[in-house]
Amino acid sequence: MDLEQLRKTAAEVVAKDDVKYLIGWKKGTYGYRVSPVFIENEADTEDLIFSPLCTANLVTYLTLVEKPPLPRGQKPDTRKVALMVKGCDSRAVAQILVEKGIEREQIIVIGCPCPGVIDVNLLVAKYPEVAENTELKWSGEDFVLIRGGEEIPVKREEVLAEKCRLCRYPNPVVSDIMIGEPVKPWQTEEDTGVSELEGKNVAERWEYWEEQFARCIRCYSCRNVCPLCYCEDCILDRLNPTWINRAVNFSENTAFHIARAFHLAGRCVECGECERVCPVKIPLGRLNRKLAREVRDNYGFEPGLDPDGKPFQASYKPDDPEDFIL
Amino acid sequence: MSEDFEPNIVAFLCNWCSYAGADLAGTSRIHYPANIKVIRVMCSGRVNPLYVMNALQQGADGVLVSGCHPGDCHYMEGNYYARRRLGIFKDLLEFVGVDPRRFHMSWVSASEGHKWKEVVEKTVEDVRAAGPFEGFRRRQIDW
Repeated sequence: MDLEQLRKTAAEVVAKDDVKYLIGWKKGTYGYRVSPVFIENEADTEDLIFSPLCTANLVTYLTLVEKPPLPRGQKPDTRKVALMVKGCDSRAVAQILVEKGIEREQIIVIGCPCPGVIDVNLLVAKYPEVAENTELKWSGEDFVLIRGGEEIPVKREEVLAEKCRLCRYPNPVVSDIMIGEPVKPWQTEEDTGVSELEGKNVAERWEYWEEQFARCIRCYSCRNVCPLCYCEDCILDRLNPTWINRAVNFSENTAFHIARAFHLAGRCVECGECERVCPVKIPLGRLNRKLAREVRDNYGFEPGLDPDGKPFQASYKPDDPEDFIL
Repeated sequence: MSEDFEPNIVAFLCNWCSYAGADLAGTSRIHYPANIKVIRVMCSGRVNPLYVMNALQQGADGVLVSGCHPGDCHYMEGNYYARRRLGIFKDLLEFVGVDPRRFHMSWVSASEGHKWKEVVEKTVEDVRAAGPFEGFRRRQIDW
């Protein structure tokens, strides 16, 4: 990734009159942290980075924008929003376009081919000392950690995020501007998390999820961070009917997780954000990936690849599988 | 499992085929188990999978969704959508660890009173074998 090229392109984009701001990543305040940044003028583009630490999916911010009622006579701001996307993020953009959640003309997508990002917990476990000016870079297959002036090579398989081990689309599927060369998709690993659970029987699976769901504190981080959970009137917020009570107990937690997973069936692009932000480390990705696998294997459908396609649950094929029907 | 367990089953029937089919079974004096609590909906495509989840949460031991045969839907394509949604929902329930015998789906047309009887018998038998559903039932707090 050529940062000079990125910053130059970003400056050109932000300089346009019809662009409101650019959403990208910048170096965080300490350690390995990277934070999202909203850039409105050219000078600030110097902050932009793209490194293996840029795990956050910025597509969430496209639909998070507040839309307060406008004072009379005031026109809505129709300027475009530019944002940087990795391969997985771009699938979320494509899926939102399919659902007509946002207009194509409203966004400028800056595609960043991504050779894989890290799981910050794994990195912290391995290199716990925090120093000023910590950086992580791609170097060939692996990573290199720059800390206090010294360069430490980091093996790829030691710190690579789980979603990247399973990633099949490292290159953006939707983009207006591409930064750098496309990367070669790598050999993906078997999704052991899902397969292992599939191998168990129903009672064992129940035992597993019972333990997981009982821990949930219902902070709704998974919903809030999800680029595809953008309904203005979420069933969780709705009072009439109250699908899911507010009480934090096992019954409501299970109902919440079933509803959440189901609402992402055929939509989830496996960006792994829900799992990353979960404060009690519930492996939500497994639920989503299981459904994605069923949708792929049984219905031949994969979300977020074709911006002109149809949503999974709002379409059908006459020969959909029906072996479960009496 | 106690012998005298009588399962509580919620059935969502589409107005045009399955409800009429169940009606035919009734008017034809066909005996079928009385464990089914019928809820009439206009189309099987109307059945939000969250209905199934909520039924299980609020005391049902099993759920049955029944609609018109593919191609016969009064609204042309409602049952195709239902098949897709509930099919994937069944996979989800199974993955979470809810016994797959608790949730069934069937196609019963208005003239299939006998098929309705078979479907109900099969469902009741399956749910009876699966036993009372405790899973994630909403518990009434006893003050």
